Amino acid sequence: MTAAVVSVTSPVSVDSLCVAYRSGGRDVPVVREVSLEVLPGQTLALVGESGSGKSTVAATLLGHLRHGSRVTGGSVRVDGADVFALPARELRRLRGGTVAMVAQNAGHALTPSMRIGRQIKEAGGDIPVVDLLEQVRLPRPAELARRYPHELSGGQQQRVAIAMAIAARPKVLVLDEPTTGLDVVTQRGVLDLIGALRDELGLSAVLVSHDLGVVAHMADEVAVLRSGRIVEAAPTGRLFAAPQDPYTGRLLASVPRLDDEGLARVGETGGREVRPKAVIPEEAPVAVSVRDVTIDYGSSRAVDGVSFDVRRGEVLALVGESGSGKSTLAWALAGLRTPSGGTMTHGPGHDGDPGAGDLARPAGKRPSALRRRVQLVFQNADTSLNPRRSVGDAVRRPLRFFGTTDSRAATAARARQLISDVRLDPALAERLPAQLSGGQRQRIGIARALAGEPDVLVADEITTALDVSVQADVLRLLDDLRRERELACLFISHDLAVVRGIADRVVVLWRGVVVEEGPTDAVFSAPGHPYTRQLMAAVLEPDPGARIVVAPAPGWVDAAEGGDLWVAPGGGHRVRRWRAAG
Amino acid sequence: MLSFIARRVLAALGTLVLSSVLVFLAVQALPGDVATQVLGKDATPDAVAALREKLRLDQPAWERYADWIGGAVQGDFGSSLVSGKAVGGEVGMYLGNSALIALVTVLFAVTGSIVLGILAGLYRDRWPDHLISTVSLVGMSVPEFVVATVLVLVFSVALPWFPAVVLYGPEASVGRLMPAVWLPALALAIVMAAYIVRMARTSVIDVMASEYVTTARLKGLSGWRVVTRHALPSALLPTLHVIALNVAWLAGGVAVVENVFNYPGIGKLMLASVQNRDLPVIQAIALISAVVYVVCNLAADLGAMALNPKLRTRGRTR
Amino acid sequence: MTTLDTPPGTPGDAPEAPAAPPSATARAWRTVRSSRAAAVGLAIVAVHVLIALLAPLLTTYDPIANNADQALLGPSWSHWAGTDQYGRDVLARVLYGGRYAIGVSVAATLITLLIGTVVGCAAALRGGWFDDVLGRVLDAVLSIPSVLALLVVVTALGTGPSVIVLAIAVVYVPQVVRVVRGAALAVAPADYVTAARARGEGTWAILRREILPNITDVVCVEFAMRASWVVLLISSLSFLGFGADPPTPDWGLMVAENRTAITVVPMASLAPIIALATLVVGLNLAADGLSKAWGVDRIREGS
Repeated sequence: MTAAVVSVTSPVSVDSLCVAYRSGGRDVPVVREVSLEVLPGQTLALVGESGSGKSTVAATLLGHLRHGSRVTGGSVRVDGADVFALPARELRRLRGGTVAMVAQNAGHALTPSMRIGRQIKEAGGDIPVVDLLEQVRLPRPAELARRYPHELSGGQQQRVAIAMAIAARPKVLVLDEPTTGLDVVTQRGVLDLIGALRDELGLSAVLVSHDLGVVAHMADEVAVLRSGRIVEAAPTGRLFAAPQDPYTGRLLASVPRLDDEGLARVGETGGREVRPKAVIPEEAPVAVSVRDVTIDYGSSRAVDGVSFDVRRGEVLALVGESGSGKSTLAWALAGLRTPSGGTMTHGPGHDGDPGAGDLARPAGKRPSALRRRVQLVFQNADTSLNPRRSVGDAVRRPLRFFGTTDSRAATAARARQLISDVRLDPALAERLPAQLSGGQRQRIGIARALAGEPDVLVADEITTALDVSVQADVLRLLDDLRRERELACLFISHDLAVVRGIADRVVVLWRGVVVEEGPTDAVFSAPGHPYTRQLMAAVLEPDPGARIVVAPAPGWVDAAEGGDLWVAPGGGHRVRRWRAAG
Repeated sequence: MLSFIARRVLAALGTLVLSSVLVFLAVQALPGDVATQVLGKDATPDAVAALREKLRLDQPAWERYADWIGGAVQGDFGSSLVSGKAVGGEVGMYLGNSALIALVTVLFAVTGSIVLGILAGLYRDRWPDHLISTVSLVGMSVPEFVVATVLVLVFSVALPWFPAVVLYGPEASVGRLMPAVWLPALALAIVMAAYIVRMARTSVIDVMASEYVTTARLKGLSGWRVVTRHALPSALLPTLHVIALNVAWLAGGVAVVENVFNYPGIGKLMLASVQNRDLPVIQAIALISAVVYVVCNLAADLGAMALNPKLRTRGRTR
Repeated sequence: MTTLDTPPGTPGDAPEAPAAPPSATARAWRTVRSSRAAAVGLAIVAVHVLIALLAPLLTTYDPIANNADQALLGPSWSHWAGTDQYGRDVLARVLYGGRYAIGVSVAATLITLLIGTVVGCAAALRGGWFDDVLGRVLDAVLSIPSVLALLVVVTALGTGPSVIVLAIAVVYVPQVVRVVRGAALAVAPADYVTAARARGEGTWAILRREILPNITDVVCVEFAMRASWVVLLISSLSFLGFGADPPTPDWGLMVAENRTAITVVPMASLAPIIALATLVVGLNLAADGLSKAWGVDRIREGS
């Protein structure tokens, strides 16, 4: 009975919990023998890749199970009460009153037809709504309370969800991927808020996250889950410094870091070996040249006067938050948006390439030889492959369409070759996309792009939707390919740590304009623009003791005018003019 | 918000104009000479000529359309080829009688089906759901004339509570017609409710599985509050349009049922005028039905606006 | 290939997958097995089709031969469902009655769906003014009650089956266009369609290769549901005397003929009603089962 005595003192105590999900007439276990404990005022992080059961465990703290799931063993105690044994009325009191939840996507978690103020008030407690909104640092709370959820930005919605959770002053906060859909800078703000509130109100917290940077920043204790089982649990500092389980080690080692000078290769036990970047010969020809390009959406300007070159064999990263215009540029290069000004040209390839031409024209109006030279890889491999056609078909189609191969047999053989070029088993060719994992689908996406034998690859956030270990593999593949095929690669990303490892040069976009550009090393070692600094400061390293890489940015205003746009520290590094605000 | 309403009203008007053109063209496009069509093959040339004169078939089509639509806007649909009376007044009289049925039908069908649909959705996969779903499946699988026939068998033959047929003409007073309203209305309501129940059930299930309903539950709210405040406004949204379409469907649905009961409504008039080839009456009925359809859809759009703040607050920025 | 040091994607990280992709027939078979509603519904429809085809083998009576001596008989060994006022065997007429209903419905539904799918996909892909104008016109057509439109067409052109099939196509095409357009619009922004556009594929190729395979579910469900409506509409027309010409054996017509004698020979009205209702229930069950098994959203098709 010692366990029972302990559980009275700890706000959360889960004892060999098993949850199964009924599918096709049999129980599929999703959580197996999970035991954990959260002490008062402490934060426990549940870490794992998708499908590890971390969110299921977190939801049981509120006595919630997904439709079709049930507890097959063990118990969950919150504040001494056995959650799954409580009568309905007591359970309702527990929810909100003792333990409250902040869900992943506040945009979906707030009722669209109800004003913010009423939703918060409903959560109980006697703290005025305005005070709560002030507490989550929202401006003009009285006016905000009268708004509907869709009238708020993503970050504001998440703050409202937090206000709702702390309204009744619970003892335990369950945070299920609380910042996953948010931009890095917004994420940093929300995490800082959660940390401050937690300390201020003396809350215990359970944080679910796939992001080891977030965990290192927030948690006191970490439990690593894999396939429903806890593989390792330890205080944060110890776990990050000396992971015991090889899986944890590999997971940690897979996370790209701001000080990596190349892509890391992760060994079986979690060792890291950084491969130096490829050396691009001086005489490498320019593959894509973009000059003063402007792209409009209706009356709003998404991209405003952007210029850059990408050479064969080079990876150029376009970096920025959502709305910075980076994806718009990518789509324009692929011929899916038409620029309203400026020029985009495909440079003359070696041996007097007939594909040289004008990239400002939409795909349908480009000559076929040009179309195949510039290929796009999509962000989300789940939606970029036709679910009703085999993945082999996805690769064969462009081969036939562009006439790369002349016979059916040659097409099939070439497709198999391409599939093995992206390090997949050619036997997978006859499967449907749904029968592959996310990483495998993304590789097929790359193989499809390679089928046109491009010399320019536009990679639009291609690793964003992937788990961290899969991301490392796909990045490695991309790096190999550009070395093998001398691909000019335009790598679009919001994640500076990823960019650091793969890119040779970086272009930082802010609201459609370039604020900084230069060789990766130069930009990362001496970021000149406050926006770049802000982005870098928001990156959370998977290291609890990480020192801040750069000083937080001061308030600033744009100071570029007329022909005088740039400050150039030299070596191809240049920074848009700015001055301190105020 | 006002611009939203204005846009919808304009679109509705546009649809109406198009509908009227279609109605007019469809009647023009009937094969052969309209006058011969109306009078039959063995009509004397004089009679045909007289009718052609009356229908002004010698004038260009657009002029006749302009005349017709200009009159229609003022309630003048010309005169019936059969009775010679003004079409407007006649159709109005029958329409009033049908409105009695429609009113009772909509009242029964909408309230009943929304309640049942929500119940089925909330008790998903348990016996109330199975019962309601099965009954509604049968309801949408039998044609109106069968429902009407069965109702007559039960409530007029076996239990002589309601009249099986109406013995009055279209001029009968509301008081006289009232006893004969219930069975036709019930028959229509059963068929109509079947569709609305299924719609309401599906959208309740969808909304109950949404993240915001889960969040509301995890806030510790009572089941009743979660359903009424958080789920229903969104669940009713798609149901609204189905209701509107079904109410508009009544305009045609009454044709069968009114003929089973010999009820002097617009459906009976429709059938009679088709049989008699009374073109002005047919055109008038078609146009009025189009108005009903457009008005119902407009009402549903406005209702959706009341339920969905995204539509109301469009234009306001963050 | 200079460096091949990236670890190959291990087969282990694939979700459990069968060795070969399922063919269309295999998939249909799995659906039928997994959904009881679909299986029952399709079985009912199949039985109806069989009966209609094999009617001459199932009964020895002529469905249209009058026999005044045998009028208005109750059920007996020689006439299982009794006879009607002209002395015709009710069972024989019910068995033959499916021929008209099913034949006309299938033809009308097929034509409606064919036109609706082509126009709906075109509207979704072309967009712009074409889509706008089409939307307005369809709305205008929808605003005229289908019964009235059918009645007018039938009176003008006669009650031949081909006229009815065409009339029904005109009346129901707008609704099918809406549903298919909605489904195609949901598919059109998908990245795999964008990829095809970036590749420079033509509209027809995109439609055939990328969009159609992904909306076959919707179209199949639409077929089952639309067929049930068409059956109901045709029987209503016959009931009103605008459909099948007497003495054609048709269920709606039979109800109309025998309704007045319902207290004398109830089976003469009940038998066609049961036949009609089971066919429509079967179609509805199939539509329900298929839409659930394939995750097709029938909400959009609610009306």
